[in-house]
Amino acid sequence: MRLNAKDIFSGLIFIAIALIGLWLNTEHAMGSARRMGPGYMPWLTFMLLLALGVIVVVLALASGPDPLERWAWREMSLVLLGMCVFGLLLERGGLFLSSAAMIGIASLADRSHRPLGVLGVMIFLLALCWWVFIYQLDIRVSVWPQFWQ
Amino acid sequence: METLIANLAHGFGVALSWNNLLFAFIGCMIGTAIGVLPGIGPVATISLLLPITFGQPATTAIIMLAGIYYGAQYGGSTTAILLNLPGEVSAVVTTLEGYKMARKGRAGAALTIAAVGSFFAGCVSTVLVAASGPLLTSVALSFGPADYFSLMLLGLIIAAVLAQGSVIKSVGMVVLGVALGLVGTDVQTGQQRFTFGIPELSDGLDFAALAMGLFGIAEIILNLDRPEARSVLTTKVGSLYLTREEVRRSIPSVLRGTAVGSVLGILPGGGAALASFGSYMMERRVSKYGNQFGTGAIEGVAGPESANNAASQTSFIPLLTLGIPANAVMALMVGALIIQGIQPGPRMVEAQPDLFWGLIASMWIGNLMLLIINLPMIGMWVKLLQVPYRYMYPAILMFCSVGIYSINNNVFDVYLTVLFAIAGYLFAKMKMEPAPLLIGFVLGPMMEEHLRRAMLLSRGDPMVFIERPISGTLLALAAIALGLMLLPSLRKGKDEALAGG
Repeated sequence: MRLNAKDIFSGLIFIAIALIGLWLNTEHAMGSARRMGPGYMPWLTFMLLLALGVIVVVLALASGPDPLERWAWREMSLVLLGMCVFGLLLERGGLFLSSAAMIGIASLADRSHRPLGVLGVMIFLLALCWWVFIYQLDIRVSVWPQFWQ
Repeated sequence: METLIANLAHGFGVALSWNNLLFAFIGCMIGTAIGVLPGIGPVATISLLLPITFGQPATTAIIMLAGIYYGAQYGGSTTAILLNLPGEVSAVVTTLEGYKMARKGRAGAALTIAAVGSFFAGCVSTVLVAASGPLLTSVALSFGPADYFSLMLLGLIIAAVLAQGSVIKSVGMVVLGVALGLVGTDVQTGQQRFTFGIPELSDGLDFAALAMGLFGIAEIILNLDRPEARSVLTTKVGSLYLTREEVRRSIPSVLRGTAVGSVLGILPGGGAALASFGSYMMERRVSKYGNQFGTGAIEGVAGPESANNAASQTSFIPLLTLGIPANAVMALMVGALIIQGIQPGPRMVEAQPDLFWGLIASMWIGNLMLLIINLPMIGMWVKLLQVPYRYMYPAILMFCSVGIYSINNNVFDVYLTVLFAIAGYLFAKMKMEPAPLLIGFVLGPMMEEHLRRAMLLSRGDPMVFIERPISGTLLALAAIALGLMLLPSLRKGKDEALAGG
């Protein structure tokens, strides 16, 4: 077999999104070709996506082999966890605390980091962040923690 | 002609204001920096700097973002020549001859011809943008809704056809982009579509969150996934002056590269990378010294480097005159304009003369700045390469996160970016091209509007798309483009040409 696993998965992603989209779209009025309702264009789009997904899967059955690659789960989860923590902390904890937490967590993703280096990056970036976003752009966000409010 | 000069004078008046000069300079500096650094490209950088430009007037914002795009083409050639390391996809061909020249001790000459060729190409293509803008605009004003729909369809299909890898998957990505563009309030009926009752989604998915997640953050994860080895500079730059022989040999190549690049840049789906490959292929066939290619022929640097810079400027033509983005960077420009409250389209030249002519004038000034930034300061840029990635990615991450929050002052957008980052990583692992998706996302809502209007005017008869001459021609072109790429032999040629990306 010369299965192209990457393409099979790509096709399945298309098909899955198309089916979910078509199902969600049942609550929108289709209208007619002359007076299209809010559901017309989504119906067209998802039907096309469904068809393309099927074609991709069929073609993938013989166009391989192209096996799936290993995922960098550790790197991905640490970087994204950092961002989520930033989002959770930002409004209560302020810009500095949330950014420092994000940089700290995301730095774990690269094993060559040393604690002192991370600290240096943190201080430098916080200063830069303050200069760009607070001093120059004056975005509306508190810099220091606001837990007591 | 006189109006052209008057308009350009007006543009220079805008571009030479202190603030616009400053931002053009910042854009060129950032562009050169990311061009030099592998692992971060113009798409990611522009998407992450989008929020920072919102505080500025629209003209200033676009001037800076444009500076990043064409600045990256200059910067990319530096590392390609000195280290055999293309900082940008468009610089991949420059490594072929440029690095060979560096090995022969002519690195300085290669850098000079790359910068001078780019400058010349930039000047020519700037005039081209200025001249064609008003011309194309008058043509575009005769377009009806059906013609617009077909034009966008053509743009989407060419974007998919020219993307790397499987054409059908790229078409799928375009359609997926259109589907993501459907999220939000339906303009005509006010009905909420695919918003899951989340109020933040009623204005649609945030463009900046989508772009930053797919390109910025996903790229960080990908880079951490495959740590690249940074090579250290061992070659000497040497004299920056060209010999008489080198000058004589490069002039025709620069001219040809400028012509090829200008044409390939205008094509929907075209852009800098395609132009430099096209020019290299052509130089190898046309040049008298074709047999020297592969051993450090100066034509192989002069042509492609001129071409990619010409293309990065002419690719603004479809955006500024028709409102249609030719590639992912231009899709970001549309996003930036829409966020600024400007609808790109044929009326923009008249309605926003400051923006149109100011941008054109700033491109010329920017090219001059880049010449100065690049040649004497080459050592500084090479030093930048010694900054390890582990110090760079926290900075990118921080700018993304704080930037995305500052657009709407809403942490929801941060989580949305996280979601799209996962999607972007998944796409990369499945060899699904995210650039066509971005173009589909930008064009989707406009296409729906034109489709509905066209069908209303034709009383529900879809034949209108074939019967109107402009629309029919565009659809025929789209069909031909799609058909050609399904031929195995042509597809192979394209994959070879784009193999570096």
